[in-house]
Amino acid sequence: MKIFKFIMAVLILLSAATGNAQIKNAKIEKVKISGNCGMCKTTIENAGNLKKQASVNWDKVSKMAIISYDSVKTTKSEILKRIALAGYDNEIFLAPKDTYLALDSCCQYERSIKTLAKIEHAEIIVEKEEIKDSIMDAEIIAVEEENLIEKVYDSYFSLKDALVKTNGGAAAVSAKNLLAAINNVKMDKLSMEVQMVWGKVFEKLKKDAELISKSKNTEYQRTQFMSLSKNLHDVMKVSKQETPTYYQFCPMTNNGKGANWLSKEKNIKNPYYGSKMISCGKTVETIK
Amino acid sequence: MKVYIKWLAAFLVIMQTPNFFSQKVVRYELTITDTIVNFTGKDKRAIAVNGQIPMPTLTFTEGDTAEIVVHNKMKESTSLHWHGIFLPNKEDGVPYLTQMPIKPDETFIYRFPIIQSGTHWYHSHSGLQEQIGMYGSLILLKKKDDPLFRKGIDDLQEVPIILSEWTDIQPDNVHRMLHNANDWSAIKKGTVQSYSEAIKAGHFSTKVANEWKRMLAMDVSDVYYDKFLINGKNESQFSGLKGGQKVRLRISNGGASSYFWLSYAGGKMTVVANDGNDVEPVEVDRLIIGVSETYDVIVTIPYDDIAYEFLATPEDRTKSTSIYLGNGKIQLKSRMPKLKYFEGMKMMNEMMMMDGSMNDMSMDMSLQKMDMNTVMYPEITGEAKKKMGHMNMDHSKMGNMKTGNMKTDHTMDSTDVSMNMNQEIVTLNYGMLKAPNTTTLPEDASIRILNFELTGNMNRYVWSLDNKVLSESDKILIKKGEVIKIVLNNNSMMRHPMHLHGHDFRVLNGQGENAPLKNVLDIMPMETDTIEFLANTEGDWFFHCHILYHMMSGMNRVFSYENQMPNPYLPDKEWAYRKLQRESNKLHFMVENDFATNGNDGMIMWQNTRWSFGTEWRLGYHDVHGYETETHIGRYIGKNQWFMPFVGYDWRYREREGQLDFQEENIFGQSDTKDTRTAFSIGFQYTLPLLVNLQTELFTDGTVLIQLMREDIPISSRLRFSFMINSDKEYMAGFKYIVTRYFGISTHYDSDMGVGFGLTLNY
Repeated sequence: MKIFKFIMAVLILLSAATGNAQIKNAKIEKVKISGNCGMCKTTIENAGNLKKQASVNWDKVSKMAIISYDSVKTTKSEILKRIALAGYDNEIFLAPKDTYLALDSCCQYERSIKTLAKIEHAEIIVEKEEIKDSIMDAEIIAVEEENLIEKVYDSYFSLKDALVKTNGGAAAVSAKNLLAAINNVKMDKLSMEVQMVWGKVFEKLKKDAELISKSKNTEYQRTQFMSLSKNLHDVMKVSKQETPTYYQFCPMTNNGKGANWLSKEKNIKNPYYGSKMISCGKTVETIK
Repeated sequence: MKVYIKWLAAFLVIMQTPNFFSQKVVRYELTITDTIVNFTGKDKRAIAVNGQIPMPTLTFTEGDTAEIVVHNKMKESTSLHWHGIFLPNKEDGVPYLTQMPIKPDETFIYRFPIIQSGTHWYHSHSGLQEQIGMYGSLILLKKKDDPLFRKGIDDLQEVPIILSEWTDIQPDNVHRMLHNANDWSAIKKGTVQSYSEAIKAGHFSTKVANEWKRMLAMDVSDVYYDKFLINGKNESQFSGLKGGQKVRLRISNGGASSYFWLSYAGGKMTVVANDGNDVEPVEVDRLIIGVSETYDVIVTIPYDDIAYEFLATPEDRTKSTSIYLGNGKIQLKSRMPKLKYFEGMKMMNEMMMMDGSMNDMSMDMSLQKMDMNTVMYPEITGEAKKKMGHMNMDHSKMGNMKTGNMKTDHTMDSTDVSMNMNQEIVTLNYGMLKAPNTTTLPEDASIRILNFELTGNMNRYVWSLDNKVLSESDKILIKKGEVIKIVLNNNSMMRHPMHLHGHDFRVLNGQGENAPLKNVLDIMPMETDTIEFLANTEGDWFFHCHILYHMMSGMNRVFSYENQMPNPYLPDKEWAYRKLQRESNKLHFMVENDFATNGNDGMIMWQNTRWSFGTEWRLGYHDVHGYETETHIGRYIGKNQWFMPFVGYDWRYREREGQLDFQEENIFGQSDTKDTRTAFSIGFQYTLPLLVNLQTELFTDGTVLIQLMREDIPISSRLRFSFMINSDKEYMAGFKYIVTRYFGISTHYDSDMGVGFGLTLNY
């Protein structure tokens, strides 16, 4: 029994020792770290904590953190750097702009340097508005124009741009406009040559545009976009245009079989991969 | 009287001119010593010059004469190469090509006129000394009255920046491990790309296809580094700058094998020069600087009381290094997200053909314009998709994503916004570089076209041009006055910074007469680039990949001017060239032994570019289990080196109690006692798809052996599986867990020796 007690005592002593030994050469400091809420607390502490080296305890009311760390292995500055890289300004480091902006909206604390914060807010608002604008553009439906086939082309190009940006929502809207534009084309106003081709591809164009407009999945939209591009190319080849259009080809898409698209720009902006491989492809034909 | 004064004036002017042109000699004394550094908490050997790493920044003005006195106080020989400088061949600093090595305790004086300006650097060209400290900035200033002096650029405050990296492993050992396909670097970097990791990422079929095409896991760089450094420090501050001030960073990449992404927390950067040559200013968000390239970049300090981080991230994004420009709180730049390796692997699978050559799918890639690695960059192509099972675990994030998809129509959530922002990241490529003045070469000069295919073999770490290393090629003779046009095509899986000594070349990048001048060309896999230069000097000039470990593997050539004068520093050039050739085709040693409960299993091997000398053994602990050795001398054939014919020698001894005449039959019906045998053999090894090694061997006693084997199948980051089966009806299968660089735990079953557990030591 005595032995048992002894062992217990030893164990208790040992565990106490290990408890303290978790952070050796511990140094404790109090620092101010910007932030708002409980979510911030978790992010800040997770970023700062490092097993056996540093532990952070942040208080959301006072915005003060108590950090204790192994002064041989690490420094206050290293801990605060990690916290700033997670999005939180502190007495040594300011968080990167994009990391701050990616924080949940409840965590977007007021940044102490007003000038900087203002610039950032201004920029983000502009960016959001730009996106809205592009959708608005797409919503303007073509009406009351004699040259109605041009509207088909225009809607096609905005659809292509949406796919380049891998923006399924905008692509669907553009495709809806395209469908409307296709329906608005007055066959009798077209030249004979164009009429011939148009008659052949009209139904196919409509079908592809409709399928794209009903989906927001860019991968699906892109599959339809292949035949859409091919058919529209046939039309464009026989109709007259003021500025050249480029028929471009990406050899990698469609499981290596490749696919084409039409563009007003000579520079390659691939609608089948978007940013993934924006510059993949080449111009195979210039239509004038 | 007037005439007299005119004459006097003219006379004075004439007297003055020689004075005016008589150059100012600028002298530096450099003392090279062995030193001990501590970057990681461990003391390691390095090389210091004048007691510092990096070597001191040397500054000259165009028109000066440089006189650099080198005192070698180390125990090994050395040299200094002036990277990107036009100088007499004997001052170029390549041992065994332009001079004899500077021996221990020797003093050598480099002396040359400075006839150009720009940001350059200098480094040792002896062995791997550059990796452990021998690199420094070399700044050549324009004269104030230079007609090419650019106001607003050349008069800005300057900060020399030299990038480098540090590893605690001795560079010779790094090099040896690379040749032995040791994957310790990959384990440390977390880039083993094992089967279990592939399954987790939903890329099992990608991994199988990759191995089917006989590729080992790819990375954008080969070496694991402990620290990355700017001016010898991981973090540092450059203070004393004011808000609104513009600063010119003169950046040289002195890293031995690392490309760096450069970015700045205070806004965009304006690139104004490359490889010491001015370019039209171009504004970018980021740029990649190849090994040994230099870029001059102008940045603005937005506010007085904030310091802005200039961040250099190695291409593998494992770590980073920074310098803070300005005073006060430090505005950080966000770190680059980890690479999506399996996306890269998938891409590689599409590009790689079964015969081991690369297919560019007729995309005419050139000039860094299309970075195939983009598929691996999360900041551009979005975070890696996780498998369904994972989604549930990652609840909070998924919730956000779902709602994000729901409301795509009008309001975008913040993740979408940042995605769109990132599409607009402007990354520099060579097509954007434009010289401010015409750079055309004389039209009447005769043109010689040389084609080089950059070739490589990751599995054996062989890097070559036209599948020939330096030791297999003669000097390329060129004539003074001719234009050399070089078409480079990279058919290897890595990018290579190709450097030409003593000349700047024009990069034909679509800028016409204003093609930029460079002396290092980064060429990505599958790219084809054309460069041209006027042969306007004399001597022997090195042309090589500047990744130190590729250079030391033989990815080099020498351009040699016809009818050259003797070089006083190198009397016997032919002997010296052979010496140079041998330096980049050394034998690399490896040894491995598994100390298992049922016997010892191991091998010892020396290999160079083409030859392999090796012995394998299986040694039991008593006569019944037997002793067996196989020695092979083989030569690797072909670009991919999948095929290796060899001659061999086998010896074995085994005792079977009570049944000395015991016969074993192989699957061909040939019988063999397998107990005591000495036989010579001829045979070959061939690497089959899935990296299975087929070995066929015919022995002098008439027996035939066919064997299939695969070692080191990566199951997880550290767990390896291996198996062997042969026509003697022997088989083996086992696991190995890699604990440290030299040590692993293993278990295997062997048809001769049974189950065993052991410790594997390898070097």
